[in-house]
Amino acid sequence: MDDCAEVIAMLNGTWFGAELSPETQQRLARLGDIQDFDADEVILREGDETKELGILVSGRLALRTLVPERGPVTILSVEPGDIFGWSAVLSDAQAQSTVVATEASRALVIEGPKLRAALKEDHALAASLYPRVLKAVARRLRATRLQLLDLFAR
Amino acid sequence: MITSPAPSQTAAARQWFLAREDFGAMVEAIRGTGRCVIGPTIREDAIVYDEIHAAADLPIGWRDVQTAGRYRLEHGGDTRVFGYSVGPTPWKRFTFPPNLTIAAAHRSGAIGFDPAVPDAPQVAFLGVRACEIAALAIQDRVFLGGQFTDEDFRARRSAAFIVAVQCTTSASTCFCTSMGTGPEVRGGYDILLTEIDEGFVIQAGSPGGAAIVAKLPTRRPSHAEAGAAVDNVESVRTQMGEPLPMAGIADRLKLQLDNPRWAQVADRCVECGNCTMSCPTCFCTSVVEKSAMDGTSSTTERQWDSCFDVAFAKVAGGDFRARPRDRYRQWLTHKFSTWWDQFGSSGCVGCGRCITWCPVRIDVREELVAIAPPIAPVIRPVAVEPVAASPGTYSIARLASIRPETADTTTLTLTDLDPAFLSGRPGQFVMIALPAFPAVPISISRFRANEIDLTIRSVGATSTALDTLHPGAKVGLRGPLGTFWPIEEAYGRHAVVVAGGVGLSPLHGLVDALVANHDRFESVSLFYGSRTPEDMLFRDDLAAWSAGKAIDVAITVDRAGPEWKGRVGVVTTLFDMISWDCTKVSAFVVGPERMMQASVQGLISKGVPTDRICVSMERHMECGIGLCGHCQMAGRFVCKDGPVFRLNDLGDMFNREGI
Repeated sequence: MDDCAEVIAMLNGTWFGAELSPETQQRLARLGDIQDFDADEVILREGDETKELGILVSGRLALRTLVPERGPVTILSVEPGDIFGWSAVLSDAQAQSTVVATEASRALVIEGPKLRAALKEDHALAASLYPRVLKAVARRLRATRLQLLDLFAR
Repeated sequence: MITSPAPSQTAAARQWFLAREDFGAMVEAIRGTGRCVIGPTIREDAIVYDEIHAAADLPIGWRDVQTAGRYRLEHGGDTRVFGYSVGPTPWKRFTFPPNLTIAAAHRSGAIGFDPAVPDAPQVAFLGVRACEIAALAIQDRVFLGGQFTDEDFRARRSAAFIVAVQCTTSASTCFCTSMGTGPEVRGGYDILLTEIDEGFVIQAGSPGGAAIVAKLPTRRPSHAEAGAAVDNVESVRTQMGEPLPMAGIADRLKLQLDNPRWAQVADRCVECGNCTMSCPTCFCTSVVEKSAMDGTSSTTERQWDSCFDVAFAKVAGGDFRARPRDRYRQWLTHKFSTWWDQFGSSGCVGCGRCITWCPVRIDVREELVAIAPPIAPVIRPVAVEPVAASPGTYSIARLASIRPETADTTTLTLTDLDPAFLSGRPGQFVMIALPAFPAVPISISRFRANEIDLTIRSVGATSTALDTLHPGAKVGLRGPLGTFWPIEEAYGRHAVVVAGGVGLSPLHGLVDALVANHDRFESVSLFYGSRTPEDMLFRDDLAAWSAGKAIDVAITVDRAGPEWKGRVGVVTTLFDMISWDCTKVSAFVVGPERMMQASVQGLISKGVPTDRICVSMERHMECGIGLCGHCQMAGRFVCKDGPVFRLNDLGDMFNREGI
């Protein structure tokens, strides 16, 4: 239970988990594990199967994509409260970018199959989680659209 | 030796006094010339214009009481002839008749078309007000001012003798002072009357007018009478109160084509067309063919039409203005905006008929202000008087040092400056020039004890030449110019600076001031985004600000290589960090226009009030003082009204393409 309380405290410190009901927070805490990543550790590689959804509670991750002739380019950073590996809520999903910890980081990580099974069975959890995942994806889409606009172009 | 009288004596010499009991003599004198006198008379409880046979036909003693949707006559218990304002009849009824046969056609053997020959009766219009004279002049431009003319109008207008009357009273619906058409009559008459208690002060405005005046039992007015005439007209201006905020209304309306108010006012409008029929300038018509029963002849009749008519913009395939809101918008924007494009003036004279005669009390004055609100006064706190303000004159400064910021951006530190430059305010700019290179506007990025910094991106000939200078080189400066950041207005609030790329340059001085006075603010934050880490300006300063406690600094880049450990994402992603009550935020935003648009949108969605967001605009500038016209942004000169603007001062101009 101590571990669980620590995870719930971490979730409460993020926009993703702050307003979840205590029951849902507890369910999430039990579903996942806290994992620590070292700086420069590769968490997920572009093209690999997305096996886990992560909720970053501290540190910073970089989403990188490989651009021909330019090498890996960071297109977005993941800040505490945001998620990575969001496609794990779907089955057979592939990572769209490589996820690298740019500094020592900590995240609540939930295995994809376990998560999907829980979402099917626990409608309250699904009703809380899906909008947050969608919000995170929408934020990412909005940021990407603005990048496409090239705000610094004349 | 005095060879000509002073202007006031000339004016006085032209004035005459006609006693009230002798007014009938004027009607008779005009009728004596063979003209039909048309003037005010009472019919169906309204003062309308119709034939006047004698002074007794005039509405002696009658007043009108007008408000939106209401018109009533009351007797004032006196013998004033012109104690009312304007009735429902516009004079165009006589110069541009509601129904006019313009041609006849026949089919007897061969077919034939016979245009009508203008046949204008000799008339005199008695009691034409200043707004109505302005309306006649507007219709002159509509019908006679272009390549194609209306000869019937020309004939009728030429045949009209104008007896104008100064307004000595106004209705609550009058707004001639807002439209610049009254209350004083300034010309366009043959005779001008000003009614005072004892009678009329009159003056002739044409030889024909002088001939009539010469026939009247007049005398010179006393000083008191002449003074009363002036005072009576001036009192009307006072009665009408503050004019409407009409500055820039034509442009303001063009920027409001999507305003939801069009639909709201259209919901009230019953599309009766009273506003257009009673309007003294509306000129739209339709043509109706009337055939004889045996089909051998027909006449073509032109009739007044209204853009409110449901069929007005109809074609075979549909209706271009199918919705009432479209028709209302057409009418209002034509009157106050596009009329300028077509005829070089407003289409409204402020007579107020459209307000009085609207059965649902739509008041065009209210709609104008609601749909196209006035642009708030520009932020213009006291700025130091610039030196060498005129183009071509320069104050010489010496380059103390030069250092690169990025691959294409350099900071020049200038010294040996005129003190005015050191007294400039963050947000202001200078025009900097070298011999043989045109002056360019550059924001002052930093104020030091005896120096200023200019941070310049090499994009043109002058900036590239400046980039190659060595310490000791001399440059020409004009300024400091333009508006500056209203720092004091952010005291006690969360001061948020949002910078994109080189936009940090005009904000650097602001950040310095915020940091120096940080205890005056609830908090101070800088959100800075650049395209890549290599494009970031002032890295040493950013590091120093980050290390201190006076300001929270958040930096992001749009994209980066693996070596970058900081945030990646557009600058607006930094707004996720905002945890304050955003109604207490004062934001200062500079960057490329797209970046500013995205940032402003993000701030507004967080709840930051638009009057608390300031932006600095960039436009092509040649003179920097509002004379060359290059930097115009709708009604603004970015150089002198800006470059710092409150967002709500810019209204629709911000975030609109092609402005």
